[in-house]
Amino acid sequence: MKRGKATIICEVKNGSYSQYPVPENKTGTYVIELLTKRILALGASQQGQFLVDCESYLSHPQMGTTKTVHILHNSEQPASVFSILESGTKNIHVIADGLFDLLMMKLSQHYTSKKQTKIESKGPRFELGDFCVKLGSVTMNQNFKGILVEVEYRPCVMANAVWGLLREFLQGLLGPTVPVQPTQHLMSRMNEIYTPIDTIYQYLEHFSAYRKVTGMRNN
Amino acid sequence: MNQAINVEQLNSALSSLRTVRSNVSLVFETLSNGLRADHGEDGKDKFLMELQELLYIVSNNLRDLEQTVNALPIPVPFNLGNTTYLSQETTQDRQALYTQLVNSYKWTDKIHEYSSFAQTLLSQNSLKRSYINSGSTKRRGKLQSNHNVAPLQVDNVINNIDRSYNDMKITISRPFASNAVVSINLSHVLKAVVAFKGLLMEWVMVKGYGETLDLWTESRHHVFRKVTESAHAAMLHFYSPTLPELAVRSFMTWLHSYVNLFSDPCKKCGCHLHHTSLLPPAWRDFRTLEPFHDECKQ
Amino acid sequence: MSAANLAPITATDSLSQALKANIIPNQEYLLQGSVLDSAVEVLLHRLRGLCDNVDAGTETFDDQEVCFSLRDPNQQAAPLMLRVRKALDARDMPFQLRYIGQPDLGDKSRPTVVRSSLDIACSGMLIEFLNELGCRIEFEYSVKGYMFRKGRMKITVSKVFKISQSSMSPEPISQSYLVELSVLAPQGQDAIGEDMRAFADQLRPLVQLDKIDYKRLGHMS
Repeated sequence: MKRGKATIICEVKNGSYSQYPVPENKTGTYVIELLTKRILALGASQQGQFLVDCESYLSHPQMGTTKTVHILHNSEQPASVFSILESGTKNIHVIADGLFDLLMMKLSQHYTSKKQTKIESKGPRFELGDFCVKLGSVTMNQNFKGILVEVEYRPCVMANAVWGLLREFLQGLLGPTVPVQPTQHLMSRMNEIYTPIDTIYQYLEHFSAYRKVTGMRNN
Repeated sequence: MNQAINVEQLNSALSSLRTVRSNVSLVFETLSNGLRADHGEDGKDKFLMELQELLYIVSNNLRDLEQTVNALPIPVPFNLGNTTYLSQETTQDRQALYTQLVNSYKWTDKIHEYSSFAQTLLSQNSLKRSYINSGSTKRRGKLQSNHNVAPLQVDNVINNIDRSYNDMKITISRPFASNAVVSINLSHVLKAVVAFKGLLMEWVMVKGYGETLDLWTESRHHVFRKVTESAHAAMLHFYSPTLPELAVRSFMTWLHSYVNLFSDPCKKCGCHLHHTSLLPPAWRDFRTLEPFHDECKQ
Repeated sequence: MSAANLAPITATDSLSQALKANIIPNQEYLLQGSVLDSAVEVLLHRLRGLCDNVDAGTETFDDQEVCFSLRDPNQQAAPLMLRVRKALDARDMPFQLRYIGQPDLGDKSRPTVVRSSLDIACSGMLIEFLNELGCRIEFEYSVKGYMFRKGRMKITVSKVFKISQSSMSPEPISQSYLVELSVLAPQGQDAIGEDMRAFADQLRPLVQLDKIDYKRLGHMS
């Protein structure tokens, strides 16, 4: 299996940004610009844009207990489709090539897409030494939902070993008051070798949390 | 001093030779002139008397000459090789060769002199990496063989080190004849490759866990390039031709301390990342093995 | 902003572009036949003479295939068939997940069977995934043989085995080898069918490759 690098994804909540008054209706762009300025000041260079998207499919009611198939794409692995099947408490994943999307169309009788919950995180991508930082603004159905900052430390493959270092980096970037917590999935995989699917699981966990918050935040 | 005496002796020998020559020529001159008017009537007897006297002087002179020549020290014949024939050279432009010969002789002489000075200086200021301070010639002979140790012995040393660590896997390969190339897997943190010459470490390259290992390409990660630098410094620091096994073992102990490369903060500033380089503490103290940033180690 | 910093296009967009440009090989052109074990050496010899990939010896394969079906929730259409192949001789290779649609034999003038097909390379917990997805295992078998290539055409000569429960050596299903000539191509490239027919004719004295109608075979048994 392809090896990855330890990555954490941290949500920037506007609440914890109290020292930076955010003007009305400019939330996303303002914070992204602010963070961009900071990371460029640290000596980073912008290396393109990134995009992670997620579409979820629900099983046909006739098929028994409802199951959800999440299909995610990550521009870091452009030739792969990540598919996570949520069934009860279990998550089963498959990493496939691009044609898996076509298969999902063939399964349209069995699994139907919940178009209104299509969610993505998109934004600039920076490289800074051995770090890769992605500032993503999350939109669901064209509505702005929040900001996810992804920090990848490329030399290390074990989340456990590098956790303190990543937290120090993130708090240096976002401010010391920002709480940095590993997602549930990452907690369970702290001592394993990190792979790209672990990043996908982290995004899915954040995306699911956004979906649960109905409506758009107005601050 | 000795030379001065020799010159005096030589001078007296030459002057007695001159005396012999002039007196001999006097004998022949008298002889060729024959009877003269001043010899008078019984000039024949007088002439013979004069000749006898002269010959007597010559034989005296000859004795003197022999004495001084015998007193001269007999020179050991130099083997001058082809230069001997320079004296017999007749062509004008080649006769200058002798001066050049003398000049080059002087240069060689100077080199000899300076190198003997250098030798004294070196033996006074012992350098760690040279053999000079290592004592007797008997020991020196043994030392040089560290470049050329039986593969089996190298294997034993390295395998022994390998067995003493659970999280550091060391494997030996010999892609270049008999010299070992050792690859080291340190937990999930890093990989390193060390080239050996006999039992002496010659080259180290450190890379990340997911990278492919070879001797010459640098890691694509800044941090491992920094660790490679430190490893080169460590390799030189631990270098000890007299106790090569200890050197290898110390180096491996030092390298093993990188197991906490990402997890332990710097001992001095207490941070994981240095504020300018954004690197984790990529230096390990040689004695305490404590982690430091390159910038914090002083 | 430089071109490198432009936003990447979404996977859905690139897929629909690929569909529009018709570059996705989703049609399989297929001819099948069989030879007796005793005659297979002669056929292999002929193929070694005709095909491209023989410089480094004949390519072999040893796969295990599990066939899944997914029933239509509305009970109207036929069940969807999905096949998973795993190479037993190269365990670190990904699974091959394959969707095969209903074969279209067409009339006499059409040279080959055409069926829609999706070949997807997968890694991860695929069998478990399909089970949880609602698929049922229909049957499984292992298939072992030789693979040849001639231009875009793939020729396999293989033997089908039952999966043995114990550690005993697998039992062959028949005394013959299955010969398949196939090409995966985007829709509408029917000219390839003629090439395949021409190639099949070159093998004619040794093996007869034809459009096989499985429905009819089902009726016969």
